[in-house]
Amino acid sequence: MMARAGGITNAVNVGIAVQADWENREFISHISLNIRRLFDFLLQFESTTKNKLANLNEKLDTLERRLELLEVQVSNATANPALFNSS
Amino acid sequence: MAVPVEEAIAALSTFSLEDDQPEIQGPGFWVSAERGATTSPIEYSDVAAYRLSLSEDTKSINQLNLLIREGKEMGSVLYTYRSCVKALPQLPDSMKQSQADLYLETYQVLDLEMSRLREIQRWQASAASKLAADMQRFSRPERRINGPTITHLWSMLKLLDVLVQLDHLKNAKASIPNDFSWYKRTFTQVSVQWQDTDSMREELDDLQIFLSTRWAILLNLHVEMFRFNNVEDILQVLIVFAVESLELNFALLFSERHILLRVLPVLVVLAASSEKDSESLYKRVKIHRLINIFKNDPVIPAFPDLHLSPAAILKELSSYFPKFSAQTRLLGLPSPHELPPREAQDYQRHYLIVNHIGAIRAEHDDFSIRFASAMNQLGLLRSMESADLEWAKEVKGNVYDMVVEGLQLLSRWTTRVWEQCAWKFSRPCKDPISTESTETTATYSDYEKVVRYNYSAEERKALVELVSYIKGIGTLMQKSDTLVADALWETVHAEVQDFVQNILATMLRTTFRKKKDLSRILSDMRTLSADWMANTSRPDSEMQSFPQGGEENRGNFFYPRAVAPTAAQVHCLQFLIYEVVSGGNMRKPGGLFGNTGSDIPVNDLKQLEIFFYKLGFFLNVLDYTATVANLTDLGFLWFREFYLESSRVIQFPIECSLPWILVDHVLESQNAGLLESVLMPFDIYNDAAQQALVVYKQRFLYDEVEAEADNCFDIFISKLCDTIFTYYKSWAASELLDPSFLFALDIGEKFSVKPKRFTTLFKLTRVKLLGRSINLRSLISERINKVCRENIEFLFDRFESQDLCSIVELEKLLEILRLAHELLSKELNLDSFSLMLSEMQENVSLVSYSSRLASQIWTEMQNDFLPNFILCNTTQRFVRSSRVPPVPLQKPSVPHAKPNFYCGTQELNSAYQSFARLHSAFFGIPHMYSIVRLLGSRSLPWLIRALLDHLSNKITTLEPLITALQEALPKSIGLLPFDGGVSGCVRVVQEHLNCWQSKLDVKIEALRGIKEIGSILYWMSLLDIVLREVDTSQFMQTAPWLGLIPGGDGQIVQYQDGEDSPIISLFKSVAAAIASNPGISNPLSFRVLSRQAEAADLLYKSNINAGSVLEYSLAFTSAAMDKYCSKWSVIPKTGFVDITTSKDFYRIYSGLQIEYLQESVQSQASHHGAPGDSIAWGACTIIYLLGQQLHFELFDFSHQVLNIAEVEAAANSSAHRNSQLSQGSEILLEAMKKARRLNNHVFSMLKARCPLEDKQACAIKQSGAPLHRIKFENTVSAFETLPQKGL
Repeated sequence: MMARAGGITNAVNVGIAVQADWENREFISHISLNIRRLFDFLLQFESTTKNKLANLNEKLDTLERRLELLEVQVSNATANPALFNSS
Repeated sequence: MAVPVEEAIAALSTFSLEDDQPEIQGPGFWVSAERGATTSPIEYSDVAAYRLSLSEDTKSINQLNLLIREGKEMGSVLYTYRSCVKALPQLPDSMKQSQADLYLETYQVLDLEMSRLREIQRWQASAASKLAADMQRFSRPERRINGPTITHLWSMLKLLDVLVQLDHLKNAKASIPNDFSWYKRTFTQVSVQWQDTDSMREELDDLQIFLSTRWAILLNLHVEMFRFNNVEDILQVLIVFAVESLELNFALLFSERHILLRVLPVLVVLAASSEKDSESLYKRVKIHRLINIFKNDPVIPAFPDLHLSPAAILKELSSYFPKFSAQTRLLGLPSPHELPPREAQDYQRHYLIVNHIGAIRAEHDDFSIRFASAMNQLGLLRSMESADLEWAKEVKGNVYDMVVEGLQLLSRWTTRVWEQCAWKFSRPCKDPISTESTETTATYSDYEKVVRYNYSAEERKALVELVSYIKGIGTLMQKSDTLVADALWETVHAEVQDFVQNILATMLRTTFRKKKDLSRILSDMRTLSADWMANTSRPDSEMQSFPQGGEENRGNFFYPRAVAPTAAQVHCLQFLIYEVVSGGNMRKPGGLFGNTGSDIPVNDLKQLEIFFYKLGFFLNVLDYTATVANLTDLGFLWFREFYLESSRVIQFPIECSLPWILVDHVLESQNAGLLESVLMPFDIYNDAAQQALVVYKQRFLYDEVEAEADNCFDIFISKLCDTIFTYYKSWAASELLDPSFLFALDIGEKFSVKPKRFTTLFKLTRVKLLGRSINLRSLISERINKVCRENIEFLFDRFESQDLCSIVELEKLLEILRLAHELLSKELNLDSFSLMLSEMQENVSLVSYSSRLASQIWTEMQNDFLPNFILCNTTQRFVRSSRVPPVPLQKPSVPHAKPNFYCGTQELNSAYQSFARLHSAFFGIPHMYSIVRLLGSRSLPWLIRALLDHLSNKITTLEPLITALQEALPKSIGLLPFDGGVSGCVRVVQEHLNCWQSKLDVKIEALRGIKEIGSILYWMSLLDIVLREVDTSQFMQTAPWLGLIPGGDGQIVQYQDGEDSPIISLFKSVAAAIASNPGISNPLSFRVLSRQAEAADLLYKSNINAGSVLEYSLAFTSAAMDKYCSKWSVIPKTGFVDITTSKDFYRIYSGLQIEYLQESVQSQASHHGAPGDSIAWGACTIIYLLGQQLHFELFDFSHQVLNIAEVEAAANSSAHRNSQLSQGSEILLEAMKKARRLNNHVFSMLKARCPLEDKQACAIKQSGAPLHRIKFENTVSAFETLPQKGL
């Protein structure tokens, strides 16, 4: 066997530190995961809202076009009142 | 007020995030947390905390990693390098004097580019020396420092890979030396004025040598490495590591596998550059293992459109490394282009996805089901208050297994795509069979040969499928990212703890008890990763719930903790395991975990090996999103920098672009199963754009990707809408075909339409494309709205270019379009069809009664139908006269359109065409139905009015003609004498009518006028028939609601007089019931409903006793004739019937009739040439309305002739039949009889529809003389209620 540059020096202290590290990291993981979930929620919220808005937009578009038509018809009719008052 | 984080997050799930959006796109990585966790984000600075004396090693790793990062950037600079020379301007002759300026400018431009190359040259020199120094430092047998760790080995391999790739690129890019020589030329021009250019020139020469020497980087590396002759050991270790990892192929994702494959041949060349070295190498790794690896992968992807081949590299390098050229076995491997056909076939079978797609499909289906079920179980576990710990562990373990499986699956599939690509690039299609363009000499560019014509339809389909599987699974996994994260952490934590706390404990107790050195390492492993306290931090009560018994066999129990080990921990653990198995000795013979020479028992070695490779994979799992993103990245399918350069073009057309080829294939293939994958290829653009920005960091590449993606998407939308429209049109057309007829037909199959599902595509309101979100649904509806209008427009255009008979076809085609629109409206939000129709007919306004169609029908009738069509009374049809019209008609040519503007497919078009042909040559009842349905109650009155006006005009123009004829008649015409016989009579008549000889034109005109009047009247009678039928059917539908029932004498009576009709009472009672129920929130609407019912009642009731169009027309005609009554029907002064001197209308017509009968007999003209039956209709109606029917029947010439003929026949019956009677007069008599029958028919019809008798009866003066003319109440002014033309 060759000379090895030693194993862990002061293993006990390292062990304690590792233990503390696990516990700290549990907290960090917990927080970071929940932030990610929050973010996920926001993304999903955005996309579903977008979808709902798109649906609404579609309905409004249709209504708008119908309204435009009706407006034209009404303006046309009011411009020719004689046709409706003859009888 | 602090709310626990978990509760707050959980509260978010109460929001409804339901979304009916189908998931048919790849994953979008909006935010990637933990990207780069596979390599420590803090550059292993935490390794020092474990006090393993690895500081030297860590420093080296970081140095190498930095070099790798820099090298990759150099690589992307080289890969995306585009020749500048081509863009340099040439000076025109007139500006030769400023040549020097141009040189200077050129020099400055090129200098910038060349400085990058110079940088690469410098960088590779320093990288090579650093790598060589690193290897030497860590391979001394008498090691003073710990290392190299496994991470360190990987870094060496990766850096080597970067250098190899760089070298390969430099060799492949021809534009670089090209640009350089230009640069050098400008330099010599420019530097004339400069002083002290020697050093610059020297530098330039250096660069030139570097650029023009093949494999310059490797050669330099070789020199650096063997400056001190002691790197063989570490090279061997690297080879062993690479070979074992490749052979095991467990913990490798495809990118790592490709790195090893690319590096291995170079490593072998470096390590076997001397006799002695190669022997010791083959002692550790048998040569056949290497050959196997090289043979398994003859082509390795390097850059998107650039591949490497181990055999080719070995061969080429052998000329640069003379010592290696002795390795005949390795050099005997065939390069991809030299493969014997048999082997090439085998490889082909292996590489082509199409040969594996069945298995892949099965894998995909199986995996997606199991993954989803694992997710469901996890969800179930979450929703439970307290779950059994064992079960929880099992569920989470299962999730972990599924994730690992998923990552490996994705890796395998993406490898297939990469490798198929590389294989295709290595084998361009040989003889491009020019399918469509035979005249253009088939000179395909190289890129077309390797991409466009290199994928068969089946291969394209397989590729689309595989791409969608990759993206689909990627989406699935990416979506569950935050759901599975803690389960994964917990499982990884449990695995590590189980190993260090239990397995290591057992090992320490048994095998390693005696071995101080090794057991020290093992306990180090425990120290640096064991989480002893996890079990104590929990309340005791929970601990109690878990059975503590049997601790010996179960080992330590530890509570789950959702925390994963850090990269540094994994790094240290891998290092320590490696240390245990190798004993820290690089020269240890055999492999990494080979048992030769080691005194560790096989079982323990196996366990260590498994854990070692598992550790390697943990990082990939922990780096979930980044791993999924890397594995599903297919952007390489777009990049083609290498081929762009060799083809000397700026960019290829999109037909050559693989993503577009795939999209196009989906649309063209008519494969219903592929439709939902049509958006997947667009993810390739997304990936490519991401790569252009993040990996290659080139703005112009992104711009090109964006331009192409935009272009493709536009074409895609228009193609998609076309496909959708065609499909729905043919569906509608096949629905409208008679099913029983189709059933009886042998070829009926041809007309059925295979169902396709566009539903998912219709639902998409957000398609992700290059960071934009596109509302596909609205785009589709917009276009369909537009195309429907265009289609209507086209149909009208087409109708306008044909005659009136094509109205049936027009109605059919509009019907198909209406049904297609209706079917589409179930999926999309389209404008209503009637709205579109009225928009295209230009009668949206409430006060416009005409429409484009009505005015077209009117024009057509006026210009073509009335003058040129003749009536056949028997068949009730008008047909086109064979007589050439005096004024040839000018019509626009029939517009051309795609088949989907008719009925969709060609087959259906021909079916409908043969149907339309049946109705194309006449005008009859079916045409009238079409007119009624197409015009509706809105425009029909307008048309009637127009026709009646025309009729009245015709009468007006007729008047002078008739007067002219009247004036020419001889003073007196008596009854025909019987004694002359038939021929004598005819002669007498002719003599009488000789006075008209000079007025031929007048006669013709008069006949034409009468004919047109007759045509209009007959047309009205057809319309009357149709309208009556339509009204009747409507009546049958409305009668029960209006409470109308048949009375005793066939009359219609009102059911329960004085009360409301059923429809009103029904809605009234509904409104009452609603009003009495307080629970209903909106009773008002029901009241409105009931009012509307009353209105409907009123409207429909008033419609019941609609008048007859024919009667109306007759009345109108009569009124219009009032003016001329005095001229055409002179009241005899004597008060008695005037026989001889009468010049009334009937006499004129009588003359006209006998003349045209004679003419028709003489000319023997075909029936189509004859004026037809409408003359009789016109004349008889006028005669009837003038009250001259009896006069006509008495004094008509042909009547008289017929009477004489009858007498003559009776006289001759006994005697021999007088054959003297010429054939001509026989025929003439026949014609006269026919005319009489027709006249009688018309008169009887008129009597029935417009009775005059009653009135006539009382219209006899007291003196006994008849009052000849009865005035109707109708006057022309009474008809003003009809809408007029021009409104």
